[in-house]
Amino acid sequence: MLGVLIALSLLAPFIIPYDPVALDITSRLQPPSTAHWLGTDEYGRDVLSRILMGGKLSLGLGFAATAVSLLLGVPLGLWAGYRGGRYEELILRGCDVLMSFPPIMLGLLILAVTPPAMWKLIIAVGIVYVPATVRLTRAVTLEIVSEEFILAARVRGERNSYILLKEILPNAMAPIVVEASLRVTFAILLGAALSFIGLGAQPPSSDWGLMISEARPLLDSAPWIALAPGFAMGLTVIAVNLLGDGLRATFDPKLRRHN
Amino acid sequence: MRTLRDFTSDSAHWVKEQTKVDKGATLLSVEEMSLAYDSDAGRISALSSVSFDLKAGRTMALVGESGSGKSSVAKALMGLLGSNASLKGRAKLLGTDLLSLPEEQHVQFRGRDIGIVFQDPFTSLNPGMRVGQQIAEPLIWHYGADPEEAMRRTVAALAAMGMPDPEQVATAYPHQLSGGMQQRALIAGALICDPKLLILDEPTTALDVTVEARILELLEQTRNDRNLSMLFITHNLGVVNRIADDVCVLYAGEVIEIGPKDKVLGNPSHPYTRGLLASLPLLRGERRRIAPIPGGFPDLRTRPSGCIFADRCPFAEADCTSTRQSLRALRPGHEVRCWKSESTGAWPEVKRKGTRARPVASDTPILEARGLRKVYHRRVPGGGVTWEWKAGILPLPTLQTEALAAVDGIDLRLERGEILGIVGESGSGKSSFGRTILQLNGAYSGQVLFNNGDVTNLTEAELTDLRSKTQMVFQNPDSSLNPRRRVGEAIARAMRLHDKVGGGTREDVERLIERVGLPQGYYDRYPSQLSGGEKQRIGIARALATGPEFIVCDEPVSGLDVSVQATILNLLEELRDELGLSYVFISHDLAVVGHLSDRVAVMYAGRIVEIGQASQVQAPPFHPYTEVLLESAPDPRPSAVRRENKLQMRGDTVSRSPAGCAFAARCPRKIGTICEETAPPLRTFDGGHTIACHISPDDLVRSPQYPESEKDRTSDSQ
Repeated sequence: MLGVLIALSLLAPFIIPYDPVALDITSRLQPPSTAHWLGTDEYGRDVLSRILMGGKLSLGLGFAATAVSLLLGVPLGLWAGYRGGRYEELILRGCDVLMSFPPIMLGLLILAVTPPAMWKLIIAVGIVYVPATVRLTRAVTLEIVSEEFILAARVRGERNSYILLKEILPNAMAPIVVEASLRVTFAILLGAALSFIGLGAQPPSSDWGLMISEARPLLDSAPWIALAPGFAMGLTVIAVNLLGDGLRATFDPKLRRHN
Repeated sequence: MRTLRDFTSDSAHWVKEQTKVDKGATLLSVEEMSLAYDSDAGRISALSSVSFDLKAGRTMALVGESGSGKSSVAKALMGLLGSNASLKGRAKLLGTDLLSLPEEQHVQFRGRDIGIVFQDPFTSLNPGMRVGQQIAEPLIWHYGADPEEAMRRTVAALAAMGMPDPEQVATAYPHQLSGGMQQRALIAGALICDPKLLILDEPTTALDVTVEARILELLEQTRNDRNLSMLFITHNLGVVNRIADDVCVLYAGEVIEIGPKDKVLGNPSHPYTRGLLASLPLLRGERRRIAPIPGGFPDLRTRPSGCIFADRCPFAEADCTSTRQSLRALRPGHEVRCWKSESTGAWPEVKRKGTRARPVASDTPILEARGLRKVYHRRVPGGGVTWEWKAGILPLPTLQTEALAAVDGIDLRLERGEILGIVGESGSGKSSFGRTILQLNGAYSGQVLFNNGDVTNLTEAELTDLRSKTQMVFQNPDSSLNPRRRVGEAIARAMRLHDKVGGGTREDVERLIERVGLPQGYYDRYPSQLSGGEKQRIGIARALATGPEFIVCDEPVSGLDVSVQATILNLLEELRDELGLSYVFISHDLAVVGHLSDRVAVMYAGRIVEIGQASQVQAPPFHPYTEVLLESAPDPRPSAVRRENKLQMRGDTVSRSPAGCAFAARCPRKIGTICEETAPPLRTFDGGHTIACHISPDDLVRSPQYPESEKDRTSDSQ
């Protein structure tokens, strides 16, 4: 399902029936029909085309922002869990500071000081989710560090980097990846929310959050313009979650015992 | 002792009619109980036609190794099986068939007519609820007792369990009690409704031997006072010997031998029972080689058509694999599932491969510890904050910490090729000692010499020599291997790291895997595909991969079944003889330590209280603590003398007296305040046998507990 969605987003430029930014004043606010499957918006742009194009933006944002949070959060979490003591305190207190802001406020804070741009949105959403990644990684690491095979690695004199990357990380990956897959959906939603308030993607690009934002005043007269991207978003969230479940099933050695 | 009934005689309106069961009448009768579990791998037969009778006022021990189905019996009786279980047969408790009861009626029995105590006291109590409330719960649930009355009975029940301050225990939270206290509270809870049957599922396995001994005593006393019947599930034959009247030996879900304790343990008839007893190291026994049972459990998806034990039995012949075995009576009450048990001999002995290496005393011991002391600081909960003044004006808060010397001044020498056993209970600091000498525990005071080179508090980079020449074998086979790494790769990595034994090629690794007794083709397996004993062998192979001279074995067999334990002990011994290794062998089991070690050190509260040759430590003169340990250690021989009024430690937890003797606060032979105030002198006897005690050497030799029966006992042990 996610594969279909990603494929549709990537192939969007080739399969869309209309130009997503082409204005067509003659066919404004048309309800779904055979010509425009999901209708048109106030400028006469085809909603289906815009959604397909917007999928690339939203999915890309979700995955990229999650990647940012993993890249920053996992090493910090591993280190905090493995070394403990002063490093742990420092990292965790830093996380506490970040976590004390509501996610939207934090995104706002990062984006508001500079003019909005897509890459900044990605970084902002990524940073919002760093503390959660750090905390999870640390918790998983703490559990693994107490296992005897870590002590065995120390007994034979392995370097810290080897222990972290080869002994701990592979065992910590399963929960981190599963959580990250859920994180993707939150990132998509947060990205959409930030676009909705005008700090993410800029018109006339067809980000889903932006589309809902633009369609909001027309919710009474032309609900399809807002509902369609909403459904698209819901579908994506479900698809990504299913992917997470699948990942967990393949990652968990306990489920592979009987091969 | 006050009994529960005394309390309720006047306000007994909610107490049910007690059905009187005469002593000797059959209370529980299990007939043809069969149980299968559905799993991903197919249908697994856990129990096959299990039958036994439990008489009122008697104790039946259900013995077996892990996977034998002994806990399944308890769960089936309690109606606690999962939805993937299918159960056949009958289990009549006073005429009611427990196995066919619907859940809502089973609830009426649970806790009221049948009490149950589980293995791990630390997880059996709800940590968020006061102990008293949890014990009182069944009273309120079953009889609608008012909470006050229930609490009164709870306090009385706790007092009956020998709790020194029952009111306080009742209002405490579980974490405030020691393991032994928690288990007593659980037993009190299981008995609160005055059940007729008490099921105990490995109730003492998680406890130290000294605590175990007291719990067993308490159980026996309770049983006698109340005409209670007990179904005692355990893997420990020594515990069976102490508590049981009858023994039922389970193997792969089948009863293979059942009968009175003295007969089953003293004159075992089934080859499996004989094998189990032969693979146990015995206290004060002569140093015979233990004889393990070869092979492993059968695949329970398809039961073999013949004898279930045939493929591991040294006496098996063609008829054994073709004919189904049935229980037959050897004498009244003693039945065995083997058609030729009279004609088979004793369990075959195992010949030693090569000669036993003898450690040589030399100027260069492989390891020496001098005044080793490792202190942990831990924050005291609610210990408060003290303010320090930095630069005169800045107040800097520091949390109160409590210093705990896990290792408290230890001097030891380990010769080349020597096995030094360290025995002690939990909290004695034996594991901390093992890790500290391997420089794994951070900074410490004192000195550690390895091959006469000082390795005290070196940095990791300076330790390469030590890291390749010392290794460790761990306790828990499930956690000592990285679950995401093929076992061959784990060994290859250790080889390559120090580039010692070969270059870590596949052939080198497979040779090593074969050396520890595993067949070809294990290289590509993941740990989850191995059994506990196999994992432990891989753990040993990985330790050998760096080409060590010295290995710390930290409880390497305590997570294993008896028959597997025997094979691992033999393997460790062989490797020592063959490769000239030296071990520090850490264990809580004095019999295991005594079996394997050349010398034994007894640790208590971070100090060594006695050290000497293995045989010396197990015979007088004793340090009082060693004596208590020996007294408490369960012995599977029915002839083992059970004395009344034996030595008992005072108190329930390790308490430390830093100035005097470590054991002073709990010592049953304490001679006065000198014990607490002055460090005990070292009394030296023949051949380096040293005891740290204030009692004079002459008095130590004249141990009150061991007059002259020593000779009798050794001759009893075959």
